[in-house]
Amino acid sequence: MDPLTSLILFGVGALILVVFFLPEKGLYYRWKRALQSTERVLIEDALKHLYDCEYRQVNCTLQSIAGNLDIGSDKAAELVERLESLRLITTENGNLHLTKSGRSYALRVIRVHRIWEKYLADETSVPETDWHSQAEIMEHELTPAQADELAAKIGNPVVDPHGDPIPSVDGDLPGREGVILTNLKENDFAVITHIEDEPKTVYAQIVALGLSPGMQIRILENSPTRIVFEADGDEKVLAPVIASNITVKKIFTPEEIREEFKTLSVLKPGEKAEVIKISNALRGQQRRRLMDLGVVPGAEIKAELENPFGDLTAYRVKDTVIALRKNQTDHIYIKKVEKTNNE
Amino acid sequence: MTERDEIIALANRLRWEVGGNFHDSLMESLYKEASEIVKKTVRKKGGEFAFSLDRKIDKIVTNKWTGFPIMFILLALVFWITVQGANYPSELLSGLLVGDLYGFLKSAFISLNIPGWITGLVVDGGYLAMAWVISVMLPPMAIFFPLFTLLEDFGYLPRVAFNMDSLFRKVGAHGKQALTMSMGFGCNAAGVVATRIIDSPRERLIAIITNNFSLCNGRWPTQILIATIFIGSLVPAHLAGLVSAGAVVGIAVLGIVFSLVTSWFLSKTILKGEASTFNLELPPYRPPRILQTLYTSFIDRTLIVLWRAVVFAFPAGLVIWSISNITIEGVSLADYFINYTDPFAMLVGLNGIILLAYVVAIPANEIVIPTILMLTVTHFGLQISGAQAGVMFETGSMEVTKQILEAGGWTVLTGINLMLFSLLHNPCSTTLFTIYKETGSLKWTVISALLPIAMGFTVCFLVTQLWLLL
Repeated sequence: MDPLTSLILFGVGALILVVFFLPEKGLYYRWKRALQSTERVLIEDALKHLYDCEYRQVNCTLQSIAGNLDIGSDKAAELVERLESLRLITTENGNLHLTKSGRSYALRVIRVHRIWEKYLADETSVPETDWHSQAEIMEHELTPAQADELAAKIGNPVVDPHGDPIPSVDGDLPGREGVILTNLKENDFAVITHIEDEPKTVYAQIVALGLSPGMQIRILENSPTRIVFEADGDEKVLAPVIASNITVKKIFTPEEIREEFKTLSVLKPGEKAEVIKISNALRGQQRRRLMDLGVVPGAEIKAELENPFGDLTAYRVKDTVIALRKNQTDHIYIKKVEKTNNE
Repeated sequence: MTERDEIIALANRLRWEVGGNFHDSLMESLYKEASEIVKKTVRKKGGEFAFSLDRKIDKIVTNKWTGFPIMFILLALVFWITVQGANYPSELLSGLLVGDLYGFLKSAFISLNIPGWITGLVVDGGYLAMAWVISVMLPPMAIFFPLFTLLEDFGYLPRVAFNMDSLFRKVGAHGKQALTMSMGFGCNAAGVVATRIIDSPRERLIAIITNNFSLCNGRWPTQILIATIFIGSLVPAHLAGLVSAGAVVGIAVLGIVFSLVTSWFLSKTILKGEASTFNLELPPYRPPRILQTLYTSFIDRTLIVLWRAVVFAFPAGLVIWSISNITIEGVSLADYFINYTDPFAMLVGLNGIILLAYVVAIPANEIVIPTILMLTVTHFGLQISGAQAGVMFETGSMEVTKQILEAGGWTVLTGINLMLFSLLHNPCSTTLFTIYKETGSLKWTVISALLPIAMGFTVCFLVTQLWLLL
């Protein structure tokens, strides 16, 4: 075979491999996803949607199911019929309601979904924007027993990484608390308690701003066109339609208001500080490791040395020198301590 | 509702109230309490002064202008001492084990009237492979690793990781991978064990899978031999040494490039979701305990090499002798394999003999060249004094080696491809076994084996076809 032909054949082969196995978009992955869309998945997704309506106290209809599950209205009607025959839902004047067993089924699915999100957040490095979509798949695959086992392994969490409560084994779930960010007035203080993870594009924008549950907020401006606020000391601007995906808890007592928002990354070699808080953005193993090393609120920390490129800094904590990367020190809040003179 | 149920229900309700950060707050308050007690009760002597010498050294070894030259000089020194220091003991060991002891064993077996095939299998096959591995591998291992351990004991190596982290962070790896990579230049199995210093699961797997791209001691002699024969001969004699040395260093640097690119690829694809953390401790400098370090490190490595020679190389030797001597209808198993794979091997610019040598030499890269020479001579029926089927050998002179290889159809292209393939193929079985032990996972072991092979075939294929095209 002459070299040109074999090179061309090689190129074609490589191209085919890419088309098939390109992550997410490859034919192989599409085919796998298509296989997952079975009847059970439709039933569970519909129940989840109905539960969500109940939780938000709005009415659910056949059309809203069709829209939420992205299926035609014929198929949705078929699905509702099937759900009724399984005694999971009842229909009243065109509004759909969960039966008792339907509700407990929905809660089981939601429990698996949120446990899996918590697992991804704490034990893996899967990016934040992928948690929801991966949990959407796993919620149909794990059995309740497997989910309980996983929950036990990660310390029986009570809230998922978006701040949503995880239903207990018995299907208990606390009522919705807090207010929507858009309802706050200027100079109100609050703490983020929940960030809605759907739709994905909206969630990605919130993540890109670096917002996460646990951050303290102070409203600077709230107008119909935009909301300006400080989140842990940084100014952020959101359109109201996006801000309405964030739930917060208002702070009323002045003692709870935090004023220092300097991060460890601003500390220059030779300067000392006291750690105030590790942001929720550092979670799971990362967080535990830092705490093991003694980086905990109240600890004294001193910047010692920067590496030649200035993106890695060594700090002395409890008489040990450890180097941390900037993407970690950006999430550790400090209070500067005045310089000592004996150096 | 019983009292018990009520308590459980209450506990569940309270769990929502205390919230998700309960464990963290608990731990924080424990540390806080402890550090307050320490502040009140513990008094320290010396204070900041005790660290000032450490910081002075650090200022020099992590400086933008002096840090990297110091690093390169130290590493170059380690390699130079290894190469120079290993030369003589290697020759000595080879003369003793492959020369004298081999001859003695062979005549002893014959005088005891042991059947010829047992002598062939045990002495020509197993023993010879074992002897080869020991004489090639033991001296550099016994010099390289004690030197490395001294640098580590002194506290210098973490500073290398500190300097290099920026580069490794960009490809999704840990700064300490600079160290495990350097260890890999000694021995990949040792490099894989060394990845224990990386405590982040994702970065550790990356370091394990890419360690094979560090050209280990077992592969250096192959590279040097082939570069001298095929690359050095392309230029005038007075430049030959320089050019062939340059070619070998080029392959080693290419290995580092492949290692970084593969790290980046792995961190973006199959290892994307693995948990990842970062911290790098910079321990205080300590005067190294020279004698103790040299002794323990020397004993450790010697044991590893001997264990490897017995467990992996000896069986490989049995296989090499058998495939050359077991015949079906007058054709040896080796010849069947060579004839069968030749067309494919030609496509990637190698030949069936090389492929077979790499299959039987999975346990030990050191015996690739002796196996290739033996198979070439047997396959083409060349008349070389002392050569016989199944007995690995190396000729004393480059000229004879070159004649044998050229009789086997080798060109400059074959030489280049062999150098590339020697860099890019599966790790030896000792390393694979170590990877399995360290990761506890068959999946990562298989990926560590197949990924470099796929890369090796692809690179050799592209080089060959482009070479033929131009």
